[in-house]
Amino acid sequence: MLVLMLEDIRKLVKKTLDGGKVDGVLALWRENGRVGPHLFVKGDDISTLEIDPKYNLAAVAILALASGAKKIALIGRGCDERALVELFKRYQIDENAIEFIGMACSAEQAKFCECDIPYPTKIQFGKKVKGVVPPELNDVNEMSLDERFAYWRDAFAKCVKCYGCKNACPVCVCEECVLEDPMWVKKGEIPPAFPMFHLIRAYHMADRCVQCYECEEACPMDIPLTLLYRQLRQDMKELFDYLPGASDAKPPLTTVLEDEKLEEGA
Amino acid sequence: MTFEPNILAFCCNWCSYAAADLAGIGRMDQPTNIKIVRVMCSGRVKPEFVIKALSDGVDGVLILGCHIGDCHYVTGNHRTLKRFQVLERLLEHIGIDPRRIRLDWASAAEAEPFSNMIREFTEQIRELGPNPYAGSYA
Repeated sequence: MLVLMLEDIRKLVKKTLDGGKVDGVLALWRENGRVGPHLFVKGDDISTLEIDPKYNLAAVAILALASGAKKIALIGRGCDERALVELFKRYQIDENAIEFIGMACSAEQAKFCECDIPYPTKIQFGKKVKGVVPPELNDVNEMSLDERFAYWRDAFAKCVKCYGCKNACPVCVCEECVLEDPMWVKKGEIPPAFPMFHLIRAYHMADRCVQCYECEEACPMDIPLTLLYRQLRQDMKELFDYLPGASDAKPPLTTVLEDEKLEEGA
Repeated sequence: MTFEPNILAFCCNWCSYAAADLAGIGRMDQPTNIKIVRVMCSGRVKPEFVIKALSDGVDGVLILGCHIGDCHYVTGNHRTLKRFQVLERLLEHIGIDPRRIRLDWASAAEAEPFSNMIREFTEQIRELGPNPYAGSYA
């Protein structure tokens, strides 16, 4: 199944490149036995193209476009698409510069990422499978405040401040990061002060986390970051009826109050 | 020794700071646990400010601005309100009592509501006790 899908994708990529409408196709390739992102151009060996393991390509598209390509196609999953949407909204990528080719994740992949939307809005490859909700979500919701504080304090005590979560994140695009500013985060302190470091990062993820699981996968200490960000996504839905990546609306933290909400606030 | 709360208040230049000023001129009786930081607009208060205050051991944080619709910069306090709602939720998720932070509005004429608010919040923090969340792992 997966092999068949891979062959189909390779064929489509070849066709897209030969068609000449795009300058390149951003996907994964295998080189020296390892898989990483690569911008395929006309004439490249398409047999090196891979779709596994998962790697969020949205932020890589910024680099691909900065390298001179005017329009590229991108082979991606649900999370790639959502991350692209957030980057479009934040003027990091021109919407017209990307042609998205979507593939749905398998049930195993969805389970691995604990993803509740393991498919893009337009599926060209693969079959839609059901989303997954991690059982820990209930556990933390049922804890008392003090228990929760102890839980997160212990979890974040493992942090080695490698910035892996930040670097892997497709929607962390600020050129100057507050987490590297000594005003907020003391240099050379490991683990970083709790709750300072992690609350700041969590707050910054609030209206943009697309639940791609890259941060948690990158974390060498297995801190359950997405558990916290998942709760924030729910809050966004409840407070502003906004789901990062899925909604067309502008990010609510960048807009002002309107109509009935004006009355509520007063 | 009894616990005296250490409270940080961010007041905007145009409304709530003027309210604090008026309360002082009117010699209103209010607790002295509040340390005021004047900002030009409550919209200047990044959530980082509040998080840092709590992380560094402050017992409670107040953010005070103009009433919605009266902001000197028209929509500055709209943003404060939205950020505050998210911050409240976030603190709760991580196990910090969201009653330690409060967002409120005071116009330049509302000296009495201002000092009532200060009294109320100081009492609330006194009941909650000292900040147990402060600091690093060291």
